[in-house]
Amino acid sequence: MIYFDNAATTRPDAESVSAAQRYLNEDFFNPSALYREGFEVHRALNDARRRILACIAPQGFELIFTGSGTEADNQVIFSAARRGNFVTTEGEHAAVYASAKELARRGMEVRFARLRADGSVDADDLLSKVDENTSLVSVIHVNNETGAVNDVAGLAAAVKKKNRRTLFQSDGVQAFGKLSFVLPPAVDFYTISAHKIGGVRGVAALLRKKGVPLAPLLFGGGQENGLRSGTENTFAILQFAEIAEKRMRDLAAYRRQATRLNACLREQLDRSLFLPLSPENGSPFILSVSARGLRGEVLQHMANERGLLVGTGSACSSRNRYSRVILACGADEQTADGVLRLSFFGTEQEEDACRAAAILNACAAELREKTR
Amino acid sequence: MEKVIIVRYCEIHLKGNNRGYFEKVFQENLERALRGIRHEIRRPSGRYIVENFDESRADEIVARLSKVFGTHTLSVAYKVSADMDSIWSAVLAVAPQDGTFKVQTNRADKKFPLDSMQMNAEIGGRLLSANPRLKVDVHDPQHVVYIDIRENGTALVFGAYVKGAGGMPVGTAGRGMLLLSGGIDSPVAGYMIAKRGMQLEAIHFHSYPYTNLQAREKVEELARILSEYTCGLTLHVVSVTHIQEEIHRLCPAEMMITLLRRFMMRIAERIGKKTGAQCIVTGESLGQVASQTIEGITSSESVLERFPVLRPLIGFDKTEIIEISRRIGTYETSILPYEDCCTVFLPKHPLIRPDLAEVERAENKLDIEKLVGAALDSAETLRLS
Repeated sequence: MIYFDNAATTRPDAESVSAAQRYLNEDFFNPSALYREGFEVHRALNDARRRILACIAPQGFELIFTGSGTEADNQVIFSAARRGNFVTTEGEHAAVYASAKELARRGMEVRFARLRADGSVDADDLLSKVDENTSLVSVIHVNNETGAVNDVAGLAAAVKKKNRRTLFQSDGVQAFGKLSFVLPPAVDFYTISAHKIGGVRGVAALLRKKGVPLAPLLFGGGQENGLRSGTENTFAILQFAEIAEKRMRDLAAYRRQATRLNACLREQLDRSLFLPLSPENGSPFILSVSARGLRGEVLQHMANERGLLVGTGSACSSRNRYSRVILACGADEQTADGVLRLSFFGTEQEEDACRAAAILNACAAELREKTR
Repeated sequence: MEKVIIVRYCEIHLKGNNRGYFEKVFQENLERALRGIRHEIRRPSGRYIVENFDESRADEIVARLSKVFGTHTLSVAYKVSADMDSIWSAVLAVAPQDGTFKVQTNRADKKFPLDSMQMNAEIGGRLLSANPRLKVDVHDPQHVVYIDIRENGTALVFGAYVKGAGGMPVGTAGRGMLLLSGGIDSPVAGYMIAKRGMQLEAIHFHSYPYTNLQAREKVEELARILSEYTCGLTLHVVSVTHIQEEIHRLCPAEMMITLLRRFMMRIAERIGKKTGAQCIVTGESLGQVASQTIEGITSSESVLERFPVLRPLIGFDKTEIIEISRRIGTYETSILPYEDCCTVFLPKHPLIRPDLAEVERAENKLDIEKLVGAALDSAETLRLS
């Protein structure tokens, strides 16, 4: 089996799972407990917090563990976008996009900035939407469908220049552990997630610039300084720290390999069948293509039968047939219907990429023939 | 004071000499519906009494039994010994808190000291003085307290009738092969036919990889819901992908559905004859879509020989079908947006009035035996309880 759907989730890294295993077994204690065993787990948890912070924000930020990237994004939006208007983009992950729609439904003014053809935000359009009443701006760091990278540091600085009271949020779920990045001071909130880089599901983190106000989404036992109640998933958090460090240590190698895989597929996919949608200068971990005129989901099933697992932009459902983001890039419906997303962990072999290209070429040719 | 459930049945008493058989099947179906719940079913004259169960599960038992075809009404009753004190304490447990009421006594035991009328008056009087918010209305009461004095020295006291599914016990009217798509109509068609006592099997056609696994899961869920009424359900899942590809390759585009329907009938007949089914059941409703015109029906039915097609919804409007589908609990699943096989390769303008001779001519290009054989080889069979 070739698994090229790592933007959906990744196989948990075995080494870091065994390194953190003791927090499922002997050190299972509740970190809020006051006996020595609980306190030791509490210390390990805070150590994990520091280790992950060091990977992305050596100073000026604090880290709140959450249950998912979606939760972290929601917490920021429903805390920070309460007055004036909220500016975001057409290219956001559903965690931000659906939250924005919900805010709009509740009567908040929400402004969506346009995308460029590659899926990155049109910076001029974004900035033109920011005014003296903008409370929050949210821009995804790496677009999860095309891999386009937004210049988060530059955009955040430009937003602050226009309105220094506006808070700036970025969803970095497809960026963390995949590109070299240190959080700049103009960013107020940043979301990262474990399971996109070899962690397990059920843990993510919200990075918050020190001193920036944030309200909790969940109320209860007051964990995470009252910002995220609920007993901590210590095993997943410790494993997150392990994998984050490993990922950062070897980042250059992962990127190099992802770049090779990406280039190999770009080169070997039949250009008469597949149109690349991802920009050349985007994240090497994501390659979106469109088999224009064919249906992406059918191709996905055919590839599945041949041992290749890929993502798709569309689904055989009348409600969400076309990817919202791909349409927002200016693609027509035929293009949006044929989207396949290949995404890498960064350790796969080039021959897997070659085989994947051959499988997809064969499937698309066959489907074109059958449905002509 | 023991809780029991009274199950009254429908038309079985019409069935003269067969009555014993119908009652036996009905009791088996009741037993089957209560699998996993401790209980005993007794059959005094003219009804069934479920007793000796965990009383906290009474509602669940009523819910399950009300789906068994043949059930006319049910009541949760208190069984007490037939003396005034015991009956009165049971009456207090079922009596309304306010509003209008009457008492209705049925006295099978003629040795009971009060007759029915005296009993109604006595119990009604006691209720009135016990609760000043109650008023008697013998013509149109909001509540009725029923007292049933049996011959064996017990009395049943209850406050309500719950409507059952009606119909005839499943298994008393032959076997049918239901074409189950993922839509709204076919589960309702299955429900209607099972209601008349037919034992069903279902067959679902899919077009993977043109359709997805979610669409199949949806059909399994529909079959599972339907199985609560049909005393279990066998589901055959058959791929018609290759058939659709071949029709697409060799036949006029507008004939896709017309020809596909003929293949579905053939496959259903083959499987049905092997498993003992005697007919096909579909959810067709006249004129609802292009393939459901009389010409379309003629075309699909003409491939069958001595194997009738029952179409219980033929005269129903869509809104009527939706109403039943909501009532039986399949609607929410049916409207999930996954495509079934019919929408793949869908022509822009399907034939509305296919001409049988033309259809047969177009079909001549296909190796029918081989295609049907390959589809049968792809069949998977699931048993839903």
